[in-house]
Amino acid sequence: MGKQYRLIYDENLCIGCQACSVACRVENSVPDEVYRLQVHLHTKGEFPNLGMNFERLSCVMCENPPCVSVCPTNASFQSKDGLVHIDERACIACKYCILACPYHARFINPLKNVVEKCNFCYETRVSKELLPACVSICPTDALSFGDMRHKHSLVHQKSHKEVLVFPKAHLGTKPKVAFIPNRKGMKS
Amino acid sequence: MNQIWGSMEQYSTLVWHWPIAVYLFLAGLSAGAAMTSLIVKWIEGNGKPPWDGLIKAGALLAPLTICLGLVLLIFDLTRPLMFWKLLIHYNFGSVMTLGVLGLFIYTPLSFIYAAIKFKPWLFETGPFAGLLRPFKGLLDKVGDNPAWLERTLFLFAVIIGIYTGFLLSAMYSYPLFNTPLLPILFLASGLSSGIAASILFGLLFFKSEVNEKNAKYLLELDLRVVPMELLLLFALFVGMYFQGGDKAIIAVQALTTGIWAFVFWGGVIGVGIATPLLIAITALKHHAYRVGYILLNSLVVLIGVVFLRLYILYAGQTFVG
Repeated sequence: MGKQYRLIYDENLCIGCQACSVACRVENSVPDEVYRLQVHLHTKGEFPNLGMNFERLSCVMCENPPCVSVCPTNASFQSKDGLVHIDERACIACKYCILACPYHARFINPLKNVVEKCNFCYETRVSKELLPACVSICPTDALSFGDMRHKHSLVHQKSHKEVLVFPKAHLGTKPKVAFIPNRKGMKS
Repeated sequence: MNQIWGSMEQYSTLVWHWPIAVYLFLAGLSAGAAMTSLIVKWIEGNGKPPWDGLIKAGALLAPLTICLGLVLLIFDLTRPLMFWKLLIHYNFGSVMTLGVLGLFIYTPLSFIYAAIKFKPWLFETGPFAGLLRPFKGLLDKVGDNPAWLERTLFLFAVIIGIYTGFLLSAMYSYPLFNTPLLPILFLASGLSSGIAASILFGLLFFKSEVNEKNAKYLLELDLRVVPMELLLLFALFVGMYFQGGDKAIIAVQALTTGIWAFVFWGGVIGVGIATPLLIAITALKHHAYRVGYILLNSLVVLIGVVFLRLYILYAGQTFVG
């Protein structure tokens, strides 16, 4: 039976330190100037009524991934665990998936000339029962990762306690990455 | 600005550039030229050699432009030498795969069809006559009027013309791409560019073989397709507007902001639609046969279709929700 992975990003706990981004780069040897993961900071409102919002950008591991359905060579594929991966040998880098991805999570790796994106560190960590690099490094525990089928898992508990927002949910992509939206400060 | 999280360049929504727009144009033109050639050939009395110059022009344009387009497409890949993987891996849910399969059938058929139209040149007068002579028997077996081949070619020309639209409309996070009218618009403008290119090519290179009656027929046909494009564009944008939300905002933005709005009004509407209509009601009034104006007319239609493909591709990627 497949897993039901979920990654929850709590915008209230994030401090924008970018440790996740650095950890990702080191773990996956991501070349300079391209990113599997970014955390954007937006300052809202006027002094002294300010608010700071954090926004995480990465692959959200759609249940219905548009990148997989457009890929002409099946290089983008979904594993039985529901994770979206890229078979580098089959990728011709036509960029159809980069265009089709509503989350702009994909890019061309300039060293390998193939399409790349976040894969939840599947090969190097998750398949060995370790947490993805970004989750394990996060100093404020803003990120949590786990299998939703396990009732005791952090993601299961958080999903029941908190209001989750799934990015661009109206597109029907059913992301496995969810956000707990910011509750503090000015919102607009 | 240098943000703490690094470069934003990767998050640009502009992923496919002008070679794709030119391919979309050439594929539409090829399909349109094949249809044009067949339409003229199927007119009573045109079904036997010597072929009309317009039949020959369309027959020649179809394989040439599709091959040119495909070369362009291959070199736009980040790994051009890996293109063959596209030919052996199939994802039947991907419009790109379906396009490849369509091209597998369309391209050879367009070559055979062209070969039938240029038989004397290929096997007798041309520079490759000696080399190609062994294949003459094969082509003779197909005959001058292979109904099955012509009908299949016409069907696949329609498929190729329409697939270029579905290629873009399959991406549902781009409101300007993701409309059901786009494939029909691309088919119509592909046909119009195919007609224009056949007239232009025919009058420039096979002038002595062009029957005035056929040229007039094609001009009239183009004059029916061009207003149809206008109607499709109108329905596309009004339809998006009435869908509300993001789509309404993007429909307005795409028509009013920046360089792409300028390309739309000046290039697509001004050059591609208004100019041919203006020529039709002035210089070519009452179906006058003035070659200079006919060539000009074909040229502006072609330029208009190039602008349309560029506009849809770039504006579609620029204005996203």
